[in-house]
Amino acid sequence: MSEDWQRLDRRMLLVHPVREVLRFMPVLIGVLVFGSTSGGGVGVRWELLGVLVPVALGVLRYLTTAYRVHEGRVELRRGLLQRHLLAARIDRVRTVDTSASLIQRVLDLSTVRIGTGASEQDLDLDGLRAGPARELRAQLLRESAAAPTDELPDPAADTEPEEPPGRPVLRLDPTWSRYAPLTSTGLAIAGALLTALTQLPLPLDAGDLAVAGVAMAVAALLALAVVVSVLAVGGYLVTNWGLTLTHEHGSWHLRRGLTTTRETSVDDARLAGVSIAQPVNLRLAGAARLSSIVTGLQGEGQSQMELVPPAPRAVVVGVAGEVLGDHAPAAATLLPHGPAAVRRRWARALAPALVVAVAAAVLVAQTGLGAWLLGVAALAPAAGALLALDRSRMLGHALLDGRLVAQSGSLTCRRDVLGVEHVIGWNLQDSWFQRRAGLTTLVATTAGGRQRVVVPDVPEGRAVELAAAATPDLLAQFRA
Amino acid sequence: MWVTTATLEALALVALVVVLGPVLDLFDLRWWMLAPLVLVDAAYVAVVPAWRYRVHRWEVTDTAVYTQTGWWSRERRVAPMSRIQTVDWNQGPVERLFGLANVTVTTASAAGALSVAGLDRRTAEQLVAELTEKADAVAGDAT
Repeated sequence: MSEDWQRLDRRMLLVHPVREVLRFMPVLIGVLVFGSTSGGGVGVRWELLGVLVPVALGVLRYLTTAYRVHEGRVELRRGLLQRHLLAARIDRVRTVDTSASLIQRVLDLSTVRIGTGASEQDLDLDGLRAGPARELRAQLLRESAAAPTDELPDPAADTEPEEPPGRPVLRLDPTWSRYAPLTSTGLAIAGALLTALTQLPLPLDAGDLAVAGVAMAVAALLALAVVVSVLAVGGYLVTNWGLTLTHEHGSWHLRRGLTTTRETSVDDARLAGVSIAQPVNLRLAGAARLSSIVTGLQGEGQSQMELVPPAPRAVVVGVAGEVLGDHAPAAATLLPHGPAAVRRRWARALAPALVVAVAAAVLVAQTGLGAWLLGVAALAPAAGALLALDRSRMLGHALLDGRLVAQSGSLTCRRDVLGVEHVIGWNLQDSWFQRRAGLTTLVATTAGGRQRVVVPDVPEGRAVELAAAATPDLLAQFRA
Repeated sequence: MWVTTATLEALALVALVVVLGPVLDLFDLRWWMLAPLVLVDAAYVAVVPAWRYRVHRWEVTDTAVYTQTGWWSRERRVAPMSRIQTVDWNQGPVERLFGLANVTVTTASAAGALSVAGLDRRTAEQLVAELTEKADAVAGDAT
């Protein structure tokens, strides 16, 4: 790449005006309506203006935007009335993402977004030819990896043998989309549809409902389920189409998308760990999803990059092993937290359930309300027991080869794997109940992902030991 | 300081109930309904601040900061000196009344801020200076 200022690709001349026209659409429609009602030749001129202004804006944007790679810095210049000059040192470049919308893909263009960790400072190069974009991206990643940083070098990166470039670790299997309806997206779609349906002015009243009967309701529910499934599967395929995960130049690259293709890269040194989420609905279907814990990025969306969408558990565990360079943390059986923690799980799940049950029973006895409340009274403890059983079964932790592994939860079960060099500090939380049971909740704070990895209800002594084993010099001085 | 804060909180709660009850016509306010509330508040004021004070500890060594806070549920936090990003010193109205100050130490993690409340002003200033110097002495960009 030369050191001169470079324009975006000329074809952006086609994209920018179209986009601006689209953005001005509401105004345009307003002008059109206004023009037609007011009548006469005046309207035509206004409409022309309405198209010309956005087009001119698009052309201006093209003319005023330029970028260069110069003296170890990426610089971006843009704006006509208010000029901006954004510069970022290459060794501070943390991610380089490319994405291409449908229009851009037709024209073989893509957007390069250079992330430096500060969200304000993201450099957007909107509209490079796909070739130069790839080149620029490779160059930036190479140089930022080669540049001497004051970061802790990742030991895994040094010991790993150089892989052949572009070896795909994962390719999307379209059949995985069968898990899509089970995710929260599916539920969200179902919720949206239901609200939409209730908003419809259906000519229904109680009499009609009784006539239509149960069959109709069942049919409606089935239809809803089918529609939701189709939408969810469609959404899954559109976002994740052609997903590939590869490892080259010391960083991970994720590519996906049907209409808009996105390509995201994460430096090895910034990959603090992974998190395998297996909420109960996915777990029952034998599926899970994988996201990475990336440090030094702004916002949950970026620092918690989804690596594998809902997919069979075996695949997820395999990819987690590849990403970590060690298959043990994702698959290993974890140390249980002991009987006190199990008792606490049971107490916490059963107590509210019993309250509900007793309340229901009292209500029935006092007011003679429907007997169905007794059903609730019986069901609540059963559900509570199931929950407690599952929660105590999933609870566990381990410290494997310099990685902290913690798993907890039932409805939203998650296993977090975090390299100990990315642990910033420790929080130990204990309520009065926990102190009585000799338990404590150990929280490892980190700069990526959810900012914390929680190990709930570990016996106090084991918590301190665990923290001390993970970061030997930190806790030793406070151990009395 | 905590006694004052707790008293203010308790008074605010009572005032809220006294004012909101009749205004919103939520419930029929009787003096005996207030009595338990006032009792609970009084107990809160009597017990919790002292409890908080007994629990709250802090310690700074050459390589790390340690705090312990809370009363019913406690939290102990440790952060190494090398990961400290900012050291904040602040004083609210109540603290100014008593010539006290709070020091908050933040790290790169949103879950890792340590705060030491209710220090003597001069001690707080010294602590800030000390922490800043020590954090500065350690290399690294603290992520």
